[in-house]
Amino acid sequence: MNAHMLGRVVGRILLFLAAFSAVFPVFWTLLNAFKNRVDIVTPTPLFIFTPTLDNFAYVLGRESVFAGLINSLIISGASVLIGALLGLPAAYAIARYPNRWSGDIQFFVLSLRFLPPVAIAIPLMVIWLDFGLYDTRLSMIVTYSLLTLATVIWLSVPAFARVPKEVEEAARVDGYGPYAIFFLVALPIALRSLIGAVAFAFVLVWNEFLIALMLTTSDAKTLPIVASELTQLGRDVPWGILNASVVLLSIPPLLFIGVLSGMLNSAFKRKTS
Amino acid sequence: MKQKTSLPAVFLTPAMMILAVLAFVPTVYAIYISLQNRELSRPVGDFVGLANYIDLFSDRRFINAIGVSLTWEAVTVGMTLIVAVGLGILLFECAAPRMRNMLALLFLMPVILPRVSAAFVWKFAFHPLYGIATYPYKAITGQPLDLLSNPATALATVALVDVWQWGLFFAVIVLKLLETLPPQPFEAARLDHARTWEIYTHIAIPMLKAPLISLAFVKMIESLRAFDLIYVMTRGGPGITTETLDMYAFSQGFIESGRISYASSMAVLMMIATSIAFTFIWKRVQ
Repeated sequence: MNAHMLGRVVGRILLFLAAFSAVFPVFWTLLNAFKNRVDIVTPTPLFIFTPTLDNFAYVLGRESVFAGLINSLIISGASVLIGALLGLPAAYAIARYPNRWSGDIQFFVLSLRFLPPVAIAIPLMVIWLDFGLYDTRLSMIVTYSLLTLATVIWLSVPAFARVPKEVEEAARVDGYGPYAIFFLVALPIALRSLIGAVAFAFVLVWNEFLIALMLTTSDAKTLPIVASELTQLGRDVPWGILNASVVLLSIPPLLFIGVLSGMLNSAFKRKTS
Repeated sequence: MKQKTSLPAVFLTPAMMILAVLAFVPTVYAIYISLQNRELSRPVGDFVGLANYIDLFSDRRFINAIGVSLTWEAVTVGMTLIVAVGLGILLFECAAPRMRNMLALLFLMPVILPRVSAAFVWKFAFHPLYGIATYPYKAITGQPLDLLSNPATALATVALVDVWQWGLFFAVIVLKLLETLPPQPFEAARLDHARTWEIYTHIAIPMLKAPLISLAFVKMIESLRAFDLIYVMTRGGPGITTETLDMYAFSQGFIESGRISYASSMAVLMMIATSIAFTFIWKRVQ
């Protein structure tokens, strides 16, 4: 066996270890979510145990978790909808009708990502308090729309730019107006990448923590906040319930893993051609 | 596209108006509050000029937080890039296409997890008594290993989770970048009997310099959002060893004293510092 072969074997082992580290902690959390407390609090980790659904039943039956789930769905859903409805047309206009401000607009949209979330959350908290809208779904939806809108625009501009110009040109020759071209030509052709962009925006606000922590106290608490509060419980930590709520929180984003990886692939495919 | 149409105005105006309002109003308001002495318990405050800012510079916790934040940025950005380039090259070199795609999918998993979930998964894994990650140490030495309560290791342990999420994700991007490179320079170098590592350090990485710098830039921005991990895993502790700027601003504004104006002045300084730094870097990258 020469040095090159040995290198490949070592390389594969490292890759395997990295993949193991990516998956195993999540898998372990999943296992623990199905364990009774006595099976978690053991001196030696247990792989074989009698599974139980008690943790999930408890979590889903708990009013705070259920309310958090509903809040998360409504707030993320509505803000993603606003982000897509306003962001996709804006991205198309930036991609297809460049003017002297296009560069500045794109930089402005990106620069929103520079802002430390805590710097937005503190003043917004005071603003919503003054308006009497603090800790409401409405204020959360409006605040998150800033995130979804900026994200959808940022990711959709390249997706629209990848639509072949000739196709749109041909549609215009056939008598399509600019709006018809957007709705009937550009939108369907770029659809796959656009779904990726919207899915990414959803994952972003679903996972968002700091702003939700500062802008909600009870009525509009989202699921990440509820889950984090469970982790701060006192000495007798209900580990199984905790694991179950973490699993519940992680399922929606993981459902999009295929879509997001597809978006990644199409984003890099262009450069090879 | 040359004909006159209302489309750009109709499509752009609503989105830009909303973004502008949602971005500028809080920014202006943050400055406005930071010049007052408002507290959560007291809805009206008086103007105190720059007193909050002056206080900040004699606040040892603030100075400490700057240090922690800078350390955090340097460690997470540096480690993420090292892990990403290393694993990206391994994926490109050692894995057949089908295995590559499968590994790429697995490597994406940590970053898609909510940070709260990632933080909890690892907080439990590092639990001194029941943790799966600390178990081997405990089994061998008979001593519990409490990394998160040790001032010397707490920040590094949280940083590990950040690198776990972003390093693996960026490895997939490095792989995609390597796949876009033309194969000819590689073949030429092989014919010249260049060693594999020489091919990467002399050819591939220099060719990918621009995208790698962009990745570093993205990671620098993302590293500013460390709050969720730190909040769940250590709450800034033990003591203030993992207290970053956003963690300190949060605890000043909410937990301890509700000094919303004081926290706001910190937020304003962070905004100014990051805007200047990132605008500067962005223009350089372009």
